[in-house]
Amino acid sequence: MTLKEVYNGRSVEEVVGLLGEYGNGAKLISGGTDIVIELKNKKITPKILIDISKIEELKEIREDENYITLGSGVTFTEIIENPLFSGNLHGLYKACRMVGSPQIRNKGTIGGNIANGSSAADGVPPLIALGATIKTLSIEGTREIPLEDYYIDKLKSNEIIIEVKFKKPNNNQILTFAKLGLRKALAISRLSIASLIGLNEEGIIESVTIASGALGKYPMREEEVEEYLINKKIDEKIIEEAITTLQNSMDERLKGRSTLPYKRVAVSSILRENLEELIKSRIEVEAW
Amino acid sequence: MVNISLTVNEELFEVSVREDLRLIDLLRDELGLIGTKEGCGEGECGACTIIMDGETVNSCLVMAFQANGSNILTIEGMEKEGNIHPIQQAYIDVGAVQCGFCIPGMVLSTKALLDKNPHPSKEEIREGISGNLCRCTGYNKMIHATEKAMEYMEEGK
Repeated sequence: MTLKEVYNGRSVEEVVGLLGEYGNGAKLISGGTDIVIELKNKKITPKILIDISKIEELKEIREDENYITLGSGVTFTEIIENPLFSGNLHGLYKACRMVGSPQIRNKGTIGGNIANGSSAADGVPPLIALGATIKTLSIEGTREIPLEDYYIDKLKSNEIIIEVKFKKPNNNQILTFAKLGLRKALAISRLSIASLIGLNEEGIIESVTIASGALGKYPMREEEVEEYLINKKIDEKIIEEAITTLQNSMDERLKGRSTLPYKRVAVSSILRENLEELIKSRIEVEAW
Repeated sequence: MVNISLTVNEELFEVSVREDLRLIDLLRDELGLIGTKEGCGEGECGACTIIMDGETVNSCLVMAFQANGSNILTIEGMEKEGNIHPIQQAYIDVGAVQCGFCIPGMVLSTKALLDKNPHPSKEEIREGISGNLCRCTGYNKMIHATEKAMEYMEEGK
């Protein structure tokens, strides 16, 4: 390892200064659940490592009238244990609950899940479905990036993600999530889908955003399925058609990939779980 | 080298560590606390589980310098004045220990679970130890041991 120096970051300001000074040679570490393995295997060889896991200002969960803001250092455990993520935000709770193991969830952070850039990051599809934006800071100033663009508009080497923020869903909107892993605990997603769907009084879909994980190079919106579902009322036939729509867009995207035949079948139960959960949660939400 | 201070099993250590050292290496190789095991080295097996600032973590996924200022409990710290912890006694009494390799991590996950939730359901116990793999017993014995430990800890009060 070429690691020359390590820092225990005390404040965001200090970290931004260090990143400005060292740029490419520096790497941030928080929960470490991905990066320590990459360091050990020499997949990455930074000269400087800056720990941000003990910076209090990155660990806040804030709620105001319209928005919820998660500091990038908020861990999966902290999300699961916060009552904010129940009710119509249950999909975010569920996604975080299914990450790794208790030990991984105690350490792994939502900012790290985004920054690491994995296509299979469980925390990301629900946040994309919620229309979340991330805020970054560097010596050049702050940037706000819609999370769904983040995978194209990458983080610069002198930037730190400080928070992720999303608008609270309306009362008629429900966030759902489903994932397919190889087993119950400790499974990396083979594929996952999150959807934020608003139904009117007649049960007709009046708003819909759907995001997938591990169905492409990075987590992304499934716009063709959204277009199909808008203004429809969910029943068995609509669910089947939505699945076919998603399979058709996957055929294009994953053409020639050995995993396509498997994912094509697997995705049907995952999208179905989202839509069926929506109907079930709607009944529960109405009962509150 | 970087100077850090940390509390391990209620003892304060001031140590100079290599920048690329992991916490598990610090515990085992520098402090001689070899109760903590390294299995997979990538956060799957949980053999390296310790309690850091009140929560279980995989010590193979933490850099030593990140533990600066932290309070750590390893399996060695479960013993008090020559007596093993009621959780350990329960593991012995129900026969939950076979080869023993997973046990230090398993016991610490059990402790963290019971500290947070003194009366977990079977499902919550399964969830609590889901980050610790055992290749000998299956997990029913550990669940029984946890239930037994709940009894012992109540009696001890």
